[in-house]
Amino acid sequence: MKDEKVKVKHPLARKLLLWIGLPLLLVYIIVILFTYFWSGDNALKQMKEYLFELTSHHASMLDGKFMKVSGASIGIADAIDEFSTPTKNELYSLMKKKLSENSDIYGMAIAFDPFDYNNKLKLFSPYVYRTDKDIADIDLAKSYDYTLQDWFMIPKLLGTSYWGEPYFDEGGGNILMATYSQPMHKNGKFIGVSTADISLDDLELEMSNIRIMAGYTYIITRTGTFIYHPTKEYMMNESIFSLAEEDGQPELREIGKKMIAGEQGITTFRDVNTGEKSWLVYSPIPDCHWSFAAVIPDKEIMKTVNSMVIRQITIMVIGLLIILLVILWAAIGITKPIKRLLGFANRISKGNLDEKITGIRGHDEIHELVKAFNKMTYDLKHYISDLTAATKAKESVESEFRIARQIQESLLPRIFPPFPDAEEFDLYARNIPAKEVAGDFFDFFMLDNENIAVIIADVSGKGISAGLFMAVTRTLMKTVCVKDVPPVEAMEKANIVLCQDNDACMFTTLFLAIYNIRTGKMKWTNAGHDEPIILSKDGSHRILKTFKDIALGIDETREYHEGEAQLEVGEVMVLYTDGVIEATSPEKELYGEERFIKILSKNAGKTLVEILDVVTENLEGFQKDNQFDDITILLLKREK
Amino acid sequence: MKRKIPVILLFCLVLLFPNFLLGEERQEISLMVQWFPQAQFAGYIVAHEKGFYNEAGIDATILFSDGTDSPFQEVLDNRIEFCTGWLSQAIMLRSENEPILNICQLLQKSSLMLVAKKESGIETAQDFEDKVVSNWGGDFSIQPIAFFQKQNIQPDVIPQSFRIDGFLVGAIDVTSAMYYNEYHKILQAGIDEDELVTFFFTDYDLNFPEDGIYCREETLQRDPEICRNFIDATIKGWNYAFQNKEEALDLVMKYCREYHMQTNRSHQRWMLGAIETAMTYQVGDDPNKWGTLKKEDYYTVAEELLNQKLIITIPSYKDFYKDVVHER
Repeated sequence: MKDEKVKVKHPLARKLLLWIGLPLLLVYIIVILFTYFWSGDNALKQMKEYLFELTSHHASMLDGKFMKVSGASIGIADAIDEFSTPTKNELYSLMKKKLSENSDIYGMAIAFDPFDYNNKLKLFSPYVYRTDKDIADIDLAKSYDYTLQDWFMIPKLLGTSYWGEPYFDEGGGNILMATYSQPMHKNGKFIGVSTADISLDDLELEMSNIRIMAGYTYIITRTGTFIYHPTKEYMMNESIFSLAEEDGQPELREIGKKMIAGEQGITTFRDVNTGEKSWLVYSPIPDCHWSFAAVIPDKEIMKTVNSMVIRQITIMVIGLLIILLVILWAAIGITKPIKRLLGFANRISKGNLDEKITGIRGHDEIHELVKAFNKMTYDLKHYISDLTAATKAKESVESEFRIARQIQESLLPRIFPPFPDAEEFDLYARNIPAKEVAGDFFDFFMLDNENIAVIIADVSGKGISAGLFMAVTRTLMKTVCVKDVPPVEAMEKANIVLCQDNDACMFTTLFLAIYNIRTGKMKWTNAGHDEPIILSKDGSHRILKTFKDIALGIDETREYHEGEAQLEVGEVMVLYTDGVIEATSPEKELYGEERFIKILSKNAGKTLVEILDVVTENLEGFQKDNQFDDITILLLKREK
Repeated sequence: MKRKIPVILLFCLVLLFPNFLLGEERQEISLMVQWFPQAQFAGYIVAHEKGFYNEAGIDATILFSDGTDSPFQEVLDNRIEFCTGWLSQAIMLRSENEPILNICQLLQKSSLMLVAKKESGIETAQDFEDKVVSNWGGDFSIQPIAFFQKQNIQPDVIPQSFRIDGFLVGAIDVTSAMYYNEYHKILQAGIDEDELVTFFFTDYDLNFPEDGIYCREETLQRDPEICRNFIDATIKGWNYAFQNKEEALDLVMKYCREYHMQTNRSHQRWMLGAIETAMTYQVGDDPNKWGTLKKEDYYTVAEELLNQKLIITIPSYKDFYKDVVHER
């Protein structure tokens, strides 16, 4: 069956989206904003660290290269200290060996302080260097006074090793080179220097292969001079300080001072070449006191940083969309069966109990709800059919009860005054039945012209059985009370009959009086019934004391007693059942004999109908809707 | 139409070689300056490149000394007509009866100085004695020696190369420097002026005017007009260089690159400024007043040379200096 469209004012899916999706969206927006501002910084920090490490790495690689060269020179100086008097050939071959071992070295020299190699030879400086084919050698002393050269003089003056400023070796190798000089000592005395040259052409080639992002790299010496720079004319001509001066950038001069001081750092500046804001990352090459630097345009860094941030944000946004879709999906998943249930419930409410919800899978609460719904429908259907049957049964029983009551009521005399022509007496009775069929009854009938039998009884129990017992008793009493039969005899006869086959053990209290309407005399017998009240015209009263024999239907062997009483003119005999005095107020208060007598006394002067009206009115007012038992009152008045 | 062709050809020749056709033949001369191309010689370069020499009827060739050849000797040997050089050396040559003449004293103020780093603990010249002091030789050593004498100190002086590396790395405590050159190179190596202690010789009554223009007596006697025109054009060149510094620097840098000089434009700019200061010192910026060798300056130098026994007698000022510009 197709689900009917259910209109919901605030759909669950929207609520879920509103209560989960919206806070999530807000959190996400905050996180994204935070990411944009914080993560940007973070990415920049990461980028700085990356550049820092990369630059350090390249600087270290270069340092290693320089250390190999300086190490060779130190090796020569140490060897000279070991030799006692090396021959010229020994010196040349020593250097040639070192040169062949180390391809980074262009040339090597041993330059002696005047007269320190030989006291007859002022200057002597063997020099070996690479040519296109092999390794050549010369004595530098034959070319110039090397003692005035920086590579000789400076380490001599300093007493320590020295990486000289690069120079163009014109006429020699025709290459840009730098020389490392190591002072040599013999017995603690300075005797000259051992040098190793490095070709900067090789370095240039190596540097040109280093790529750091979209930037460029350069190397400056300890004086700030560029010895490698992608702008060729800077090399050996410009220093970082000359650029600072030319470009009017004092900050660049400060950066340069830090660089030549061997510091490591990262900073922004305006690139002289491009005029753009750029990043400068520098790291020292300790062996030669040079500095390696990378210059990266700020826009390149920001591009990378932004793309990192954008990537992060994109991932987050996709994540958010997925979460929202999942919520929507979950909401639909939850609300779809609920909507079906709703439609189902609506149809049930219209009385269609034959439906069963199918097709909802899973083992979740919804499924349990569906199961419960199906069970409920099933139970409801059965309950309704049961209820229908029960109602039908009840209705039939009730109608039977009604009939029983009608029969019962019809058994009681209904016409009052029953003897309108009788002047000697007056008689009125009233039965107020309880809801159920009860067993109270009264009866009176003329035995002859003078005597009238008056009966009031109260059958034990309630219901049909009590009603039937009452009917039987009444009929029986009519049978046994005949002319000239004393009441006790009639009572005993009735008792015997009632005791027979009384499997239900029912019994009845019964008061029987045979009253002479001319004399006012009466004979009575009492089978356990409440004793009658004799009410005088003036309101005084007396209780008719009786023997109070056992109720009828209990013991067939029991004998009953008979008594006589005289009713004076104007006196009223009041017969009643215990329904009167045992009437109970909603407050559980008993009506009681005293209250009954009091109201009787108060209204003694009134007619019997008036007395009955007052009493029943009073009783109804007392017990309200609380009547549990039949109430029966019979009044017999001697008129003359 | 055919008759017109020779006329057109003639017209083209006039345009291309006006002197040839007009019979105004230019005098070829050569000038040698003391060092490689740099702003110290901007005036000559500008005069040459801007055609001032040509306008003066001179076909000048500028030669740059590499330090191994002596411009004075080249002049005396009659291989070239003019050279630039320091007054001190010229006086020494004159005292040796060499026929050298000063025809224009351009630089009025000495740029030679001594520099020390404050961190070396030097405050006054008295602190030099236990320090490493380096000096260039020759002309460059005269003022320092005189200075040490005046200060009554006798520091150990070691020879100085043309590089300042020894000073920069701290191997040398006190170094000689030209204010227009090495001093600025020190600054361009990352040392600030306030980190330095300077001793300008001019501040110690040792103002030795430096670059002047020299020729042999014979050259002036034979071609006084050419000498005058040459000096005029040179001064015009200098004036133009000072008035149009960036243009002058373009030309200087062009020469520097041709000669593979390891230099940069900002250094040359500094040098040009410093040379202007030295040229206008006490004479002002009126080009008509430039080029005079003041008698007192001459005697300051000569007397110190005598003092240091570098000369035996002081040559006559009048014989030594011929004011070819202002005599006119």
